[in-house]
Amino acid sequence: MQAIKVENLSKTFRVKRKEKGMRGSVKAIFHPQTEEIRAVNGISFSVKEGEMLAFIGPNGAGKSTTIKMLTGILYPDGGRVEVLGIDPTKKRKQLAYRIGTVFGQKEQLWTHLTPYDNFRFFGAIYDLSEQETEERIVELAERFELSGFIDTPVRNLSLGQRIRCEIVASLLHKPKVLFLDEPTIGLDPVVKENVRELIRQMNREEQTTIFLTSHDVGDIEKLCQRIIIVNDGQIVLDDSVDHLKHHYLEKKDISLEDIIVEIYKAQGEG
Amino acid sequence: MLTAAKNQLRVCFLSIKYNIMREMVNKVTFLTNVVFMVLNDASILVQWFILFRLRDDVGGYSLREVLMLWGLVAASFGLSNILFARVLSLPDLIINGKLDAFLVQPKKVLLGVLTSETRISAIGDLLYGVILVCLCKPGVGGFFLFLLFVIMGALAFTAFALLLGSLSFWFVRMDILQNQMLMGMINFGTYPDGIFQGDARVLLYLLMPVGMALWQPAHVMACFDGKMFLAVLGYVLLLSVAAVAVFYRGLRRYASGNLMEARL
Repeated sequence: MQAIKVENLSKTFRVKRKEKGMRGSVKAIFHPQTEEIRAVNGISFSVKEGEMLAFIGPNGAGKSTTIKMLTGILYPDGGRVEVLGIDPTKKRKQLAYRIGTVFGQKEQLWTHLTPYDNFRFFGAIYDLSEQETEERIVELAERFELSGFIDTPVRNLSLGQRIRCEIVASLLHKPKVLFLDEPTIGLDPVVKENVRELIRQMNREEQTTIFLTSHDVGDIEKLCQRIIIVNDGQIVLDDSVDHLKHHYLEKKDISLEDIIVEIYKAQGEG
Repeated sequence: MLTAAKNQLRVCFLSIKYNIMREMVNKVTFLTNVVFMVLNDASILVQWFILFRLRDDVGGYSLREVLMLWGLVAASFGLSNILFARVLSLPDLIINGKLDAFLVQPKKVLLGVLTSETRISAIGDLLYGVILVCLCKPGVGGFFLFLLFVIMGALAFTAFALLLGSLSFWFVRMDILQNQMLMGMINFGTYPDGIFQGDARVLLYLLMPVGMALWQPAHVMACFDGKMFLAVLGYVLLLSVAAVAVFYRGLRRYASGNLMEARL
């Protein structure tokens, strides 16, 4: 069964333009000029339940915009989206009960509260009873090894500890699909490996579908079976990681990172 | 339906509880914020005491009525800023793409946003308003009427701020207009309506919710009028519905953003 189904999805942003200097600023008051930027341009793909997919591309390719449309944060201009059979534009709340999100660059936890208090709050947000929340906190705290800092305010945690807490908060309600937007950004190699192992474990034990965006090739190589590369809002490659490696490695002895850079460059030149 | 509403309320109360808990971590700052806000509000009354030594009434108000009006404005503003202080940062949340965390939660986005901040000095405003009205000895019925109007006033303040803040979905720097209009609402609202005549009076009933959300309730507290009470109630409901509708209409235009941020 498909966990995510996307057909001809598009999103355009209108951005203000102004000429240089003070003159340009004055002119912009009387003759404002805008430019349309197509962040996502008619993309289609699907993701199977339990699959781990890397959705990557260079900066400004449309990855975050796509993830935000899939989670109901942004309204698409055109096309259709279904996540677990739910349209995010029509039933955002219903979908939110069944998905989890981790944005590496945006904190969802309250920094003045301890992870424990945060988890209790998230438990309430997902309508879990006190007992259910407690049980889930105990289970996840053990699995993610949070016991040493679960009662320390989030603002005093290291980045690695914070990201682990962010992931736990997004897993409290046992989501069927987890959207990870650069979850390992800024982490040291050891912590990165820990986080990856936890994601793998979760996918294995709870069959959680993983939708990952990352600039870290290690995340892709070590986590995902399939890779979609986007550029200028369009899909330029949709292949299995194994096939991609095999296809290119037959020709020359290069790493997956080199392969991806080569694809980005080819698209940029094209 | 009832369970969903109950769960939504539970989250709102938890959010406000955690906001207050955060501020209480620093006991000295918490207490000084509250106490100095009471003193700050009280200091402004000195001019009224001096004025009423020179005249018996100002704009048709006695000193008692002015104190009641002040109490109502301060308490309404205070309650709004205890429960829904984030409405004042709405333009920043919209422009800088900070609504994402609320949009991925299975709860009402607007309630999540509004209850995510509490201004502790507002407790001082609320306390001051209540003390002031108690000093005017309104009686038990009068006091309950005052509490009802405080709730309606808080809703009107919040709705007005929400309406202006939501314009940020369409225009930039609406925080300036929002701030000026709210300051105007408080400043004009603390003067007796009798001193405003003609166009100014019309504007204060149409452009800002001063007339219906603050002056008329003060009149009803001084001399009960059932029809006016219902009119105020209807007005506040209408204003709230309009503000919520504009917010959700604008939300469709929300563009998010990629700024690094923390939820503080």
